[in-house]
Amino acid sequence: MIKEIKEVYKYRELLKSNIKKDIRGKYKGSFLGVLWSFVNPLLSVLVYAIVFPFILKSSQENYVTYLIIGIIPWTFFTTAISQGTTCILVNAGIIKKVYFPREILPISIVLSGIVNFVISCLIILLFVIISGIGIGINILYLPLLVIIQSILTLGIIFITSSINVYIRDAEYIINFLTSMLFYATPILYSSDLFPENMRWIHTINPMAGLINAYRDIFFNKVAPNLKIITIIGVISIVILIFGYKIFNKLEKGFAEEV
Amino acid sequence: MENKKENIAIKINHVYKSFKLVYDKAYTLKERLVRHHNKANYREVLNDINLTIDKGETVALIGVNGSGKSTLLKLMTKIIYPTKGNIIVNGKLTSLLELGAGFHPDFTGRENIYFNASIFGLTAKEIDKRIDDIISFSELGELIDNPVRTYSSGQYMRLAFSIAINVDAEVLLIDEILAVGDQHFQDKCFNKLAELKNSDKTIVIVSHSLGTIEKLCDRGIWIHNGKVMMDGNISDTIKEYIKNCG
Repeated sequence: MIKEIKEVYKYRELLKSNIKKDIRGKYKGSFLGVLWSFVNPLLSVLVYAIVFPFILKSSQENYVTYLIIGIIPWTFFTTAISQGTTCILVNAGIIKKVYFPREILPISIVLSGIVNFVISCLIILLFVIISGIGIGINILYLPLLVIIQSILTLGIIFITSSINVYIRDAEYIINFLTSMLFYATPILYSSDLFPENMRWIHTINPMAGLINAYRDIFFNKVAPNLKIITIIGVISIVILIFGYKIFNKLEKGFAEEV
Repeated sequence: MENKKENIAIKINHVYKSFKLVYDKAYTLKERLVRHHNKANYREVLNDINLTIDKGETVALIGVNGSGKSTLLKLMTKIIYPTKGNIIVNGKLTSLLELGAGFHPDFTGRENIYFNASIFGLTAKEIDKRIDDIISFSELGELIDNPVRTYSSGQYMRLAFSIAINVDAEVLLIDEILAVGDQHFQDKCFNKLAELKNSDKTIVIVSHSLGTIEKLCDRGIWIHNGKVMMDGNISDTIKEYIKNCG
């Protein structure tokens, strides 16, 4: 394990250049450029903010701000999962021709996700200020939440990206599962609106706990439930170790299978 | 014995490599489930290869297409792994199997130097040190600050080769990429390789340009059907190879 970490560290410049390519290359040629990282989540918030008050009689105050705090971390999660799942196949060309620690690919997906997320947090701040909620001291928990979410995401895409090389259906199954998970996570609604007998779904869904924690620090201006956060943290680390083991086992065949 | 070990750059012990032979690969779950009873066929590409390459040697691998030369090179770089046996490499290894890996067409030549060199495992500092050499070797001049998509294919290859050759590895693996650019640039590449050879680098080349490698290499290894047929002086090996396969 230590040998592998050293190897990744040796290739840190590759991580940096991947992130740079990802963030600056993505919107190159488009008119708004990097601004799309802001506009995209705002547009999806717009859709939900227009549609949902009609369907759900939401009594939630500051519903738009409430939504944004849920949707932005969720976008971080799903974008990383969907890009991460295909990251080995997409880079088939260099995998076949050049040696480098393959872990770099999923890791750089998560890292550029973090950069994007941190920028998007400015939108959250903007909205909590405009809506009069303001900023509380508990916002200092943000780095902890970001780290836990990143570990969880990385663990998942270690598994999905390597399996997707061998069984290409994985990509579609994962897409389906994440869109299911969207509704099983309190993003559009608050946890208390969920039917009592189905609340267990939120208990076993680590993203639910994380979204609630983001709401706590930004919206309710209280400390997140540290017991839940610790449990999610431990689960995430277990998933990461387990995921890395799978990745490590399957990566030897990548160049022959992609 | 210990002393001898330090002089070895690459040691290949009883290496076998077979590839799964699939005519229509089962990529999807449905295909997997329906055809799981199909027996997989394996094709042996390398059969019990044993080689020791000392530090500072310049070695050419020759053989007809499909004889396993490139597979052997890929095994040395750890892109693929042997079915049986093992390979030990001492020292920093760079393989020039593909030029321009990781180039992004929308970024400038200068930025792409960083992208490409980082794939070879260089840090930002190491690239900073080499960037002037790389740019001057490529002879791209002011074009270096234009996006790579505006380059001609020759210019593109020149930039890629300049990066690869300046990576400064101790062990260099080269697969049939000597024919880059115009005659002038080819001569330059040849001279650079000769210079690297004299500076005690270990170089392994796969090539069909027998004339060029005869001038450049000391040792020739002829591989046929996954077996080492001959290993010795470059001129003798080439002669024997031409006699049998020419």
